Amino acid sequence: MSLADKLKDKKVLVTGVTGFVGEALLHRIIGELPGTTVAAIIRPKGSLSGADRMAQMLRKDIFKPFYGEGTQYADAEALCAARIHVIDGDLSDVPELPTDLDIVVHCAGDVSFDPPIHEAFTTNVLGTKSLLERIDESRQGTDRRIHYVHISTAYTAGRRRGAIPEAPVEHAVDWRTEAEAGMAMKARIEEQSRSAPMLARFRKEAEKLHRRAGHLTAAADTERRRTEWVAKKLVETGTERARSLGWTDCYTFTKALGERVVEEFAGKLPTSIVRPAIIESALQSPHPGWIEGFKMAEPLILAYGRGELPEFPASPDSVVEIIPVDHVVGAICAVMATEPELSKPEYYHVSSGARNPLTFEQLYAGVRAYFSKHPFDLGERGAVRLPVWKFPGGDSVESMLRYGEKAHKIADKIITTVPRSERVRKYARELDVQKRRLDFLRRYMDLYSEYAQAELQFIDDNVLALHNALEGDDREKFWCDTSIVDWQYYLQELHCPSVTESMRRLDVVRKKRNKALAESAGVLKKVEPSSESKVIAAFDMDGTLLSSNVIETYLWMRLPELDGPQRVGEIGAMLRKLPKLIAAERKDRGTFLRTIYRRYAGADLEELNQIVDEILAEHVLERLSGAAVRRIREHRAAGHKTILITGAVRPLTRPLEPLFDEIVAAELAVDDRGRCTGFLSGPPLVGESRAAWIKHHARTTNIDLSKSYAYADSHSDLPMLETVGNPVAVSPDVSLFRAARAARWQIVDWKTPSTSSRLELPGVNVR
Amino acid sequence: MSRPGFVLEVDDRTPPLLVHNGEGFLLERFPLGTRVVYPPEALPPVRDVDEAIQNALLNPIESEPLPELLRAGMRLTIAFDDISIPLPPMKKPDIRQRIIEAVLELAAQAGVDDVELISANALHRRLTPNELRDIVGERVFRSFFPDGKLYNFDAEDSANLTHLGQTRHGEDVEISKRAAESDLLVYVNVNLVAMDGGHKSTSIGLASYKSLKHHHNSHTMIHSRSFMDHKRSKMHESAWRMGEILTQHVKVFQIETTLNNDIFGGPLEFLQKREWEWSIKDQASMLGTKRALAAAPAKLRHKIFTDVRSNYGLTGVHAGKIEPVHDKTLENVHRQHLVEVQGQSDVAIMGVPFIGPYNVNSVMNPILAACMGLGYYFNSYRGNPIVRKDGAVILYHPVDYEFSQLHHPSYVDFFEEVLAESTDPATIEAKFEKQYAEDPWYIHLYRTSYAYHGVHPFYMWYWISHALDHCGDIVWVGANRKTVERMGFRSASTLQDALEMVSHSVGRSPSITYLHNPPHLLADVR
Repeated sequence: MSLADKLKDKKVLVTGVTGFVGEALLHRIIGELPGTTVAAIIRPKGSLSGADRMAQMLRKDIFKPFYGEGTQYADAEALCAARIHVIDGDLSDVPELPTDLDIVVHCAGDVSFDPPIHEAFTTNVLGTKSLLERIDESRQGTDRRIHYVHISTAYTAGRRRGAIPEAPVEHAVDWRTEAEAGMAMKARIEEQSRSAPMLARFRKEAEKLHRRAGHLTAAADTERRRTEWVAKKLVETGTERARSLGWTDCYTFTKALGERVVEEFAGKLPTSIVRPAIIESALQSPHPGWIEGFKMAEPLILAYGRGELPEFPASPDSVVEIIPVDHVVGAICAVMATEPELSKPEYYHVSSGARNPLTFEQLYAGVRAYFSKHPFDLGERGAVRLPVWKFPGGDSVESMLRYGEKAHKIADKIITTVPRSERVRKYARELDVQKRRLDFLRRYMDLYSEYAQAELQFIDDNVLALHNALEGDDREKFWCDTSIVDWQYYLQELHCPSVTESMRRLDVVRKKRNKALAESAGVLKKVEPSSESKVIAAFDMDGTLLSSNVIETYLWMRLPELDGPQRVGEIGAMLRKLPKLIAAERKDRGTFLRTIYRRYAGADLEELNQIVDEILAEHVLERLSGAAVRRIREHRAAGHKTILITGAVRPLTRPLEPLFDEIVAAELAVDDRGRCTGFLSGPPLVGESRAAWIKHHARTTNIDLSKSYAYADSHSDLPMLETVGNPVAVSPDVSLFRAARAARWQIVDWKTPSTSSRLELPGVNVR
Repeated sequence: MSRPGFVLEVDDRTPPLLVHNGEGFLLERFPLGTRVVYPPEALPPVRDVDEAIQNALLNPIESEPLPELLRAGMRLTIAFDDISIPLPPMKKPDIRQRIIEAVLELAAQAGVDDVELISANALHRRLTPNELRDIVGERVFRSFFPDGKLYNFDAEDSANLTHLGQTRHGEDVEISKRAAESDLLVYVNVNLVAMDGGHKSTSIGLASYKSLKHHHNSHTMIHSRSFMDHKRSKMHESAWRMGEILTQHVKVFQIETTLNNDIFGGPLEFLQKREWEWSIKDQASMLGTKRALAAAPAKLRHKIFTDVRSNYGLTGVHAGKIEPVHDKTLENVHRQHLVEVQGQSDVAIMGVPFIGPYNVNSVMNPILAACMGLGYYFNSYRGNPIVRKDGAVILYHPVDYEFSQLHHPSYVDFFEEVLAESTDPATIEAKFEKQYAEDPWYIHLYRTSYAYHGVHPFYMWYWISHALDHCGDIVWVGANRKTVERMGFRSASTLQDALEMVSHSVGRSPSITYLHNPPHLLADVR
């Protein structure tokens, strides 16, 4: 009797139907088991109901042959109505099930290897439990036979070695205790993250980077760090608990405990447990090479093809238990048709290692051969050089990686400390690429090194028996004997082409985009005249419009009125204070400015104005970047309101007055004789205060910030840049450069004319 | 006696010849047969400068002696040429200082106390107090500057401009109100090259944009052939017409001076000697300078050249009525600069030096470099251009992308915005001139800072319109490709390549003339 006959008029509940295996299974049932109906639990997603998601899925190419002309269904809706019963629901809260189920295939699960511990327990253990309870409930006290097919993983064997039988995993771990403890971790870790010492740590780390920008920016980063820490801790806890009990990670651990739950229910429901190994693209059905999304090996294959995976901590002779998805589906279908006895669950290993092993070295060779023949086209530099793996073993790969991470850390420290320049930004960009690669390597090595060095051999006699028991053309339709797979053909002709295809398409787009980006790099888009709304263009001064800093401009202002020895004294005093000032600057710009401006005490404000007008104006104008001035004027011509926002003292902005509609600068407080007191008449406008000023200004004068512009050069200006719709980072420091790149802001380099000299002090050594 | 200028024909015994190349120089071997035009050697200076000045003031040409023109209670204005001449600037004391002091002496004797001194900078940048001091001298500076009696002319100060009327061609004559309302205007000129002086002094030096635009435009400049020859220059004709109107309203006492070619002294003296006559010392200082310049960072190199001050001997001083004075002056200028050249050639070669009229104490930006080569040097002819119609011009200058944001703010915008759209002088004039001329920011900088007027880069471009119109190919040797391309020219790495590039129009063995200046020369092409 064929499978189609055996499963005729049966109703199969499939969970996880939108997943990789679920989708393939649905495809096979619709196509090869015409008498079988499917009930699918689908989780609503956003505004899409379960039915919508099913409809969406049926519109995929692989389902198209099942409806339309020449078939018995007019369209996807008709097919759905006839064969599929969609149930909205989620495994975390399993809905009531239909009462006419014959078979349940539970494919849903968390496939990530490093889920947070509570999520792993929720889906893999507790979710399974509540599903089983609902199935039991659906029998309404009758003794209706519902065949429960549980899709687990071969790696529930954990860190065991050698031959693994198709039998329960031997262990004495109590799943209830573990689940309770695991679920409790969420609250525990959350609580821990909120303790004062932890919060202080996060805050300090955040402030080191963001204090200059302001408290709120630092606070936002503190909270980000906390949630990140919680997430990381939850994963770490899961992994450690798993390893402490002999599993590779939380995924296999909870999967193994899930099997225990299933085994407990085996007395009520006839049960089969299917344990596939590493499921990869299809050999035949739905079509050769079919794969949905990225599975385990794909990121590594792609990274290798891009030349970014220099080595891998695998044993060359360890067996990679890859299994094409259609074999898994074939096996599941065959299992569905079996009738296991109560209390005697059957186990099936869908794997390849026992009779047709693929070693890691062969896998590497296959992938390498593929990319040698079909390299990625990554731009003008030709094919990338493919790394040659020597398989030096996990430890030395680990130390290589650790060394790389350390070097990166040091380089990053240097790059964020040295004065900014175009070259520094270039290095920063290269470092960021390096960092991305290192992170990638770190992540995948941590995840997969266990698997790549596993020395397991999964016995698959039960599956082979199933395969051999298939009758007639069922063998073709539901093939599940992996010994026929020619791995090199599979890798080079099916799998790699299939997983690289989307990448290659993306590469073409990316190449075009990069070319366009390279052409427009550093060129600002023309300013559009605003007709309907009021628009502002806010500019920072020091470092943006002209290369200068507060210490320098202070010296410009003070030195002309001093005589020789006093000048030396003043410069000496500044030099002595420099380390302290730099430290203050990195910490809090406001304090830094106050420290500098304190030194204006006793200076005559009128005289300062005069010094600027007579001596400094030319110095300031000479150092103005031509491109900056053009941009300001462009904004004015477009009818925008130009605003200069600076922490510099008001007198210094005098030469720029004609360029701006409004100038916000630090105001030196004066006493009744017009002498500076060394204090400011209000707090200096730095960091978040600038953003606040702009927002307030926009509110009161009805300005459309989303169309407005801001130009600044330093990380402390981040809040200001974030308030407007068109932020521009001008010759940015590394931190702002990174933020700007991440947010895809425009970045320009406005150079101070090469004709001006840093060492020339007007009124001092320049006539 | 000094030797006259001459034309050398390069043969196999000719050593490599010196070519000015911005802030530096090269020794170049020219193809055999190349004609090299050398300026006359420095003329002997007058022996007693003060005596010559006194003589000129007391025995003026077609005018009453200066003392007779001075009386108590009168308004006396002394205008003088600004920093754009002479080039390089003069060692102290400046000739203008000596003349102004003499004039002030006479004025004091006559009891004149309403005296103002104006730097006739038209749309040039204002001079800094120090630059004014360098020209008029410490004594005059101290007596006049603090009271605001010594100042730069402000062509945008409409309250202090006077419209004197229109010429018969409808050209507005609008000059400094103070000058226009003075009982006597004394103009102190330095007639460095043939273009300067005459009616160009007051009618241009103290005029506003409204007045200047009548002759500073692409049409006039294309028909000034050359503007070193005022009788064949449309620009000068216009200035002369304006001068007629001006002198009907104002009494002008013109004092013109001429200088000799003694430009480079001390260790740089080899620059004005003929290469085959270089002494051991000259060769040593040439090599030393060359090495030092090659090793020096750009800023130091710039400083070395900015600090060059020239000896200059006075070859003549004439005073009195503008036209006859200027005729005398031109005689002297021609005596010093004129070199007879037989016929035009297919290719002209010129080395653009480190300084031009508009980058004193500043940098020579690409536009100024173009103007220096294709405006000034190309126009250094009388009769016919040195190069035949549709011939090629090859220039030497690095043409770096370098602008002084202080002195030339409108230049960099002109380069980025205007030249990006067109390099045709007439198109540029029609489309952009008004906008730049009336831009409030440029006007603000011109009036309060040290910036050339917004319209000034346009004038530089009109300056070269004659060359653009006349020449077929223009190639720069060793220049920054990007900047040169922006200006519509081409760049070659060597002279050989440049000749290769122009060979399609002038052939494989063109006739070549190399203008060996500075020191200044004026090619009298027969």
